[in-house]
Amino acid sequence: MAGSSGKGSVVADELTKVYNGKVRAVDGVSFTVSPGEVYGFLGPNGAGKTTTVAMLTAGLGATSGHATVDGVDVLRHPEEVKRRIGIVFQEMTSDGDLTGRENLELAAALYGVPRTEVASRVRGLLERMQVADAADRLAKTYSGGMRRRLELAVGTVHSPGVLFLDEPTLGLDPQGRAGFWKYVQELRREHGMTVFVTTHYLEEADGMCDRIAIIDHGHIVASGTPTELKDRLGGDIVTIRPIQSDHDVAPLLRTVPGVLSVAAQDGNYRVKCTNGEALVPALVDACARSQVGLAGVSLKRPSLDEVFLEFTGREFREDEGVSATDRAVMLGRVQNQLGGRR
Amino acid sequence: MIRELGALTRRELLRLARNPQAIMTSLLLPILYLLLFGQAFDLGAAVSPQALLFLVRGAPTYFSYFAAGMAGFVAVTATLFIGANVIFDRLFGVLKRTSSTPAGASAIFGSRLLAGIIQPVGLAFLVLGLAVALGKLGLAGLVVTASLSVVGVGEIILAVLILSVMFASLFLAIGFTIEQPQTYFAAVNAINLPVLLTSAALFPWGLMPAWFRNVASFNPITMAVNVIRENLFSGATAYYPYDASVYLLGLTAWAAAIIVIAILLARRALAPKA
Repeated sequence: MAGSSGKGSVVADELTKVYNGKVRAVDGVSFTVSPGEVYGFLGPNGAGKTTTVAMLTAGLGATSGHATVDGVDVLRHPEEVKRRIGIVFQEMTSDGDLTGRENLELAAALYGVPRTEVASRVRGLLERMQVADAADRLAKTYSGGMRRRLELAVGTVHSPGVLFLDEPTLGLDPQGRAGFWKYVQELRREHGMTVFVTTHYLEEADGMCDRIAIIDHGHIVASGTPTELKDRLGGDIVTIRPIQSDHDVAPLLRTVPGVLSVAAQDGNYRVKCTNGEALVPALVDACARSQVGLAGVSLKRPSLDEVFLEFTGREFREDEGVSATDRAVMLGRVQNQLGGRR
Repeated sequence: MIRELGALTRRELLRLARNPQAIMTSLLLPILYLLLFGQAFDLGAAVSPQALLFLVRGAPTYFSYFAAGMAGFVAVTATLFIGANVIFDRLFGVLKRTSSTPAGASAIFGSRLLAGIIQPVGLAFLVLGLAVALGKLGLAGLVVTASLSVVGVGEIILAVLILSVMFASLFLAIGFTIEQPQTYFAAVNAINLPVLLTSAALFPWGLMPAWFRNVASFNPITMAVNVIRENLFSGATAYYPYDASVYLLGLTAWAAAIIVIAILLARRALAPKA
């Protein structure tokens, strides 16, 4: 397999996870994350993001395939991998019954931070994460943003070579998300750590990641830098919404000069073109001449939203679907019930 | 391993110190037994003093016999919630966080066990003290007729400690295996009461039918309370077939067997999911 598998890297080779012998949560995923890179795994709920992270962080066994993190084989040496990585989970996992300081001291001890460095490192992180004033308050009294920053501090107290962030900003307001990412970027700059992040916030992936993989139904459907992915769209997207949805206007729209392609979806027509602003009047004019009434016209510059739509064939919705784990649990329950009736 | 064990034990003790209600709850059941069951059941009024000595194996009163039994039973009530904490830590993500660190299953299990067995020893002596105090208030109370030696106190501490290790391991094993709190409490109740009722903690030994005595002899609570009673009551050793050290050995065998099973279950629960 191509790519680096040394220090600071993350390599997955045909990584597969099948639950209950039926649900293929992750299906032959391969990628290489270079040292120091911020790599985004983008996809809706149930796409296989969290399952991939769980396999890479030695929390879940793979059904097949191979993975190395920081140059260490995850399946053969899970304990060594745990020593080298940091994780911020999508749920709060710091101890609410301990103070912020106690949480960090505990994490430092478990990760083997030298005893002489613990106090200064904990103090430094509390200050950086802006929770120093609340350092001796129980974590369960923290606001959502403070708790998230504490999670990040707990996950990085040992200065790991690779940091895994699984939906780290879930539930945070935009200001909280911006603050969280500021700290991640600072840590990355100072320690040169590789960051592997799963998210379903498109603007986060666009702004923070060096490269992105779009995962859907357990498969990587596209990958590249945000710019590369957007360039693959080939230009702007004009969305035409006719009043009458039963009449196919795609052939008409294709006759307009400058149109690269037309795709019908849910009664709308996505017109791909190089210069949308100039093309909109021509498209409206063509519809008017053919007596096609329009309910709306919109122009979008290429965005990851559009990239997702292009590669998965559907709109990106943050609350979409159930997770692969939930699906496996539901399948298990159905199987148990069927088994009980037999 | 040692540092991880120390850090995780500190975490458990901090949580315990911040939750005095949990300690009170552990005390509630033995206290209620002392105040209600112990006071109401006046066996001495029904039989001669000589017969009573036989029935309660050398204890001066039934209440004294019973109070020593309660001091042993504290090892069960004070460790009841230890497995529930595992379940809640799993539900609140704390166990996921701990499992994601290099801390091994032995440190995670061991820290909970260590923190869990400190409380019952203190509570056992609190129960004994309270039982003595009840006597000073004019109620039925514990009468210690033996002169307690350092070795005797040591044996009592050891008995409660080993019994606590056994029950803490058992409840931890259940906590690591079961995911729902309701199921945990149902399982624990299914163990708690039968173990108490098949022991010699409550019932006068002399009133038990022979087959029941055979069952009770192998009960770990019986072994622990035998050690306590042999040390608290003068001449009680004459009513027991074995010396306290033999009962301590029996208890250790019980505890060792349960610990091995519990560690295996904890390791399985904390290993990467297949």
